[in-house]
Amino acid sequence: MRREGPVIFAAIAGLAVIISGLFATDALKVVKDELDQWYLITTAFMVLVGLINLNLLHVRKISQKKEGWGYSIVLLAGMYFFIVFGLMRGSLGDAQYGWAYNATIVPMSATTFSLLMFYIGSASYRAFRARTAEATVLLLSAVVMMIGVVPIGRVIWSRLPDITSWILDYPNTAGIRGIQLGACIGGMATALRILVGIERGHLGGEG
Amino acid sequence: MFAKDMVATFWMDVLFCAAVLTMIARSRAGKRIPAVNKVVGLDALDEAIGRATEMGRPVHYSPGIGDLQNAQTLASFSALTYVARKCAKFDTTIIVTNRIPSVYPITEEIVRQAYVQEGKLDRYSEDSVVFYSSEQFAYASACVGMMNRERPAANVLLGGFWAESLVIAEVGSQIGAIQIAGTANTHQIPFFVAACDYCLIGEEIYAASAYLSKDPVLMGNLVAQDWAKMTLTVIVLVGALIATVSPGANWLATLLNR
Repeated sequence: MRREGPVIFAAIAGLAVIISGLFATDALKVVKDELDQWYLITTAFMVLVGLINLNLLHVRKISQKKEGWGYSIVLLAGMYFFIVFGLMRGSLGDAQYGWAYNATIVPMSATTFSLLMFYIGSASYRAFRARTAEATVLLLSAVVMMIGVVPIGRVIWSRLPDITSWILDYPNTAGIRGIQLGACIGGMATALRILVGIERGHLGGEG
Repeated sequence: MFAKDMVATFWMDVLFCAAVLTMIARSRAGKRIPAVNKVVGLDALDEAIGRATEMGRPVHYSPGIGDLQNAQTLASFSALTYVARKCAKFDTTIIVTNRIPSVYPITEEIVRQAYVQEGKLDRYSEDSVVFYSSEQFAYASACVGMMNRERPAANVLLGGFWAESLVIAEVGSQIGAIQIAGTANTHQIPFFVAACDYCLIGEEIYAASAYLSKDPVLMGNLVAQDWAKMTLTVIVLVGALIATVSPGANWLATLLNR
């Protein structure tokens, strides 16, 4: 029953949500809203689990003086600063909390995000080496795209921007839609396998 | 009774479910089911784990940054089950990194169960499964730091990935890890194709559980999935033909939008 209970509950809850999307009745809407609330509450509780894990991991690292343990102190200090500060001031709408958040987490996230520029450069360099027929097609279309979207492209040949638009609108869109179509069907099949209980990976590694 | 524009969706769902359940019933009855295509990326998991084992270095697994409402995350759990069992079997260290708090206890249980099933619970380390941060780029930075310190020989990224995909994959490439990545997020697939050795495209990650387990019941499900894809391809071709021959005719679109 330890395994069957969650499978039965997942099947009932999943079917209720699917049926509420297909049929418009007030009773189904109430059930769906209630299940959404349960999901939110469970998810909020899981944050606590994550917090405990993070805490244990870094406290252990500090106590054992593992390599880079100083960073763990910074991490825990930052985490508890935001928890305590948020509890004292209220995170939403508080100017000082907002400043602390916007002056630390936002620029650090932006810094990591901006690294993408360099990574795109190095990944493109490897991908565009014309070693195979496919890589050559990739290289040619990339060159056309890169030159076609900058002003010099029009100067070189006035039709180049039209070619870039055609590549984006037809072969590219067709490819993306094909992948999305397959992914949607795959998602549905995965959902169905979970609903009928033949896929149980989400229960902790049982098939 | 039907929600707005859901009549056609309902009947297509019914047909799809019928096809899946029929194939499952056939498989359970021991009847022959058609073969499915090879998924090279999933075949390469053994190679990647084997390489990590030979080099004595860890395997890094990320289930992506999608939450439990994302089917990609659920599909990733099956691949993690396989990877974790192989790592447990060969005494290879596995490091599973999490961004979503609700995903973390599940991945932890999957890895722990893998060690239990291989009879090696004493080898299981609580440091194997870690939660880094629910901030997208804080998670990416933590993964990059861990990869530079631990230098995993295999980097498996399967699930929902967004802008952090290339940050993690490119660092994996720089440290020389064999990389297997897959996502259904179309905008991230080119990054994985460029940076990784093997890339699972779109629905291939949903095939992981069936393909890796070789369970005939699950394989039957894959066949139904292929049938549905072929049916939709035919509908798309018919639609393209109608739009080409008779540009004003939109009866097919009207029928599907009912």
